[in-house]
Amino acid sequence: MERSLTHIALFAALVAVLGLVPPIMLGSGVPVTAQSLGIMLCGTVLGARKGALAVLVFLALVAVGLPILSGGRGGLGVFAGPSVGFLVGFPVAAFVAGLVVERWSAPVGLAAGVGAALGGVFVLYAFGIPGMAVMLDKTLAEAALLITAYLPGDAIKVVLAALVTRGIAQMRPGALLSRP
Amino acid sequence: MPPALPAISLNGASVTLADKTVLLDLTLHLTEPRIGIVGRNGSGKTTLLRLLAGLIPPTRGTVRIGGLDPARDRRAMLAAVGILFQNPDHQILFPTVEEELAFGLIQTGLTRAAAAQAVATLLAAEGRSHWAKAPVSTLSHGQKHYLCLLAVLAMQPATLLLDEPFAGLDLPTQARLTRRLAALPQQVITITHDPSVLAQADRVIWLDAGRVLADGAAAPVLAAFAAAMAERGASDADTDLAG
Amino acid sequence: MLTLTSPVDTPLHRVRAEIKLAALCSFTVLLFALHSPVALVLAATVPVALIATGGAVFARHGLRMLRPLWPFLLVLAIWHAWTDDLAQGLAIGLRLVTAVAAANLVTMTTRLSDMLAVIEALLAPLARFGLPPRRAALAFALVIRFIPVLADRLTQIAEAFTARSRRRPRWRVLVPATLAALDDADHVAEALRARGGAG
Repeated sequence: MERSLTHIALFAALVAVLGLVPPIMLGSGVPVTAQSLGIMLCGTVLGARKGALAVLVFLALVAVGLPILSGGRGGLGVFAGPSVGFLVGFPVAAFVAGLVVERWSAPVGLAAGVGAALGGVFVLYAFGIPGMAVMLDKTLAEAALLITAYLPGDAIKVVLAALVTRGIAQMRPGALLSRP
Repeated sequence: MPPALPAISLNGASVTLADKTVLLDLTLHLTEPRIGIVGRNGSGKTTLLRLLAGLIPPTRGTVRIGGLDPARDRRAMLAAVGILFQNPDHQILFPTVEEELAFGLIQTGLTRAAAAQAVATLLAAEGRSHWAKAPVSTLSHGQKHYLCLLAVLAMQPATLLLDEPFAGLDLPTQARLTRRLAALPQQVITITHDPSVLAQADRVIWLDAGRVLADGAAAPVLAAFAAAMAERGASDADTDLAG
Repeated sequence: MLTLTSPVDTPLHRVRAEIKLAALCSFTVLLFALHSPVALVLAATVPVALIATGGAVFARHGLRMLRPLWPFLLVLAIWHAWTDDLAQGLAIGLRLVTAVAAANLVTMTTRLSDMLAVIEALLAPLARFGLPPRRAALAFALVIRFIPVLADRLTQIAEAFTARSRRRPRWRVLVPATLAALDDADHVAEALRARGGAG
């Protein structure tokens, strides 16, 4: 009981802290932050349920006014901005990433990579694109076009999520709660 | 005043963690007001403390505090034992000093308002009312340590379990803490690798590889321990891997 | 921990959080029903006027919180210049800025503890499904407590790496940082248990 609660809380804190890491700038000028990588790790390390709850706790604290979204953003305003779809998709992304690692008995790095790609890219975009379409008054296809700028960064994060999850499994067997 | 000392006893208690035997067949009856437990790193000291606090159950044998099993009767244990961890950052749970202090009191059954009142009184008695709203992240290491002690004492346990209470504290802070601990009416069980901390203890237990190597008055046990450690230090020890 | 609540006291600080949130919801719904530029300009005057009541420092804080929007406004400007309907682009941009500014206004004028109280009240019905609001409150407190702890740990890990390498640590901090979070979770669970558990 206590361990579930503290895992959820500490990973919510980890997601917040990863948002403080200065972003890497890609050639396209789009910043790549470690925060959405943290979202993927919530799922691949903690598993579907706890991972999604950790992300929900993180989002609740963003909403109440902590500047813990990457770039020091926070408050209710971010939920009224063009990225709202991504925020709503975050917990679902973590859930799907976790579900893949839990249910698919492939080697952990592969399962985490596929989970992160499905959850952190596919599912996340399925929420993010409609959100942006509504907020910027564009069609879905137009919004999807705008979002392609993020694709290279997200591809890097999928690889990193796989490497980090595998690294944890190697350094501390039994530490992955998604693989009990 | 804390309640009368409930007897702490271990009967053939063993602990196995991840297939490794950490404590082996310990039978102890702990009644003295000041007890010290010494041993090297990895001797099982901290595991023994966690066992006494009911944070882990024994793999074999029994642990009883006032006749109750500390790993099961958690509610009763709040009044029986309080544990101070070595690293305050592992112990402090709340963002501000007053929340940290109030938590334990609410856990023992006080209402939120009563707990807030008790915290204000406690901080005033310690001359630290200005700490109430302070974020714990702004406290120094010594101050965090002190806050942990206050948080545990606020729950008025009959026995206090201390894990290396002086690690990382500067000398004035150590002196203040020693004075404070000496004045406590509670039973205090301290684990440490530093014999000088335990000179005033009523009883010292030397733990090695999960077993009791010596048990008795402070002076002879500590002398034997210090001699053995000096001898080990002189040889080229510490090459064997655990497990 | 630093919050986005403004230290400048405005009349809005004294309005109950629930009322502000309800007003914000209605205002945002209304905003997205509007399409004519004139109506949107009128709507925009609401947050602008309210922010103005807080004085210069408060208004600058409000403007600063709008800064993350500029890349999107730039994209809108280029897009609509290309499709040759700048008026519509202006309307969309105006609506976006107004919605975000109004929401920020609520954040800037509501204390963290009041917001948390609202969240806990909203979670109360979940108690029936075995999720007591007390546990959520505990989780929030733990996160706020451990953000600075983990941030320090991340710095230490990066320094430990830099001390022994010529390369920059970058992503190599991620495994130790995640392990640190897992370890801390175990320690904190134990500390929580030592003081009576999560209830």
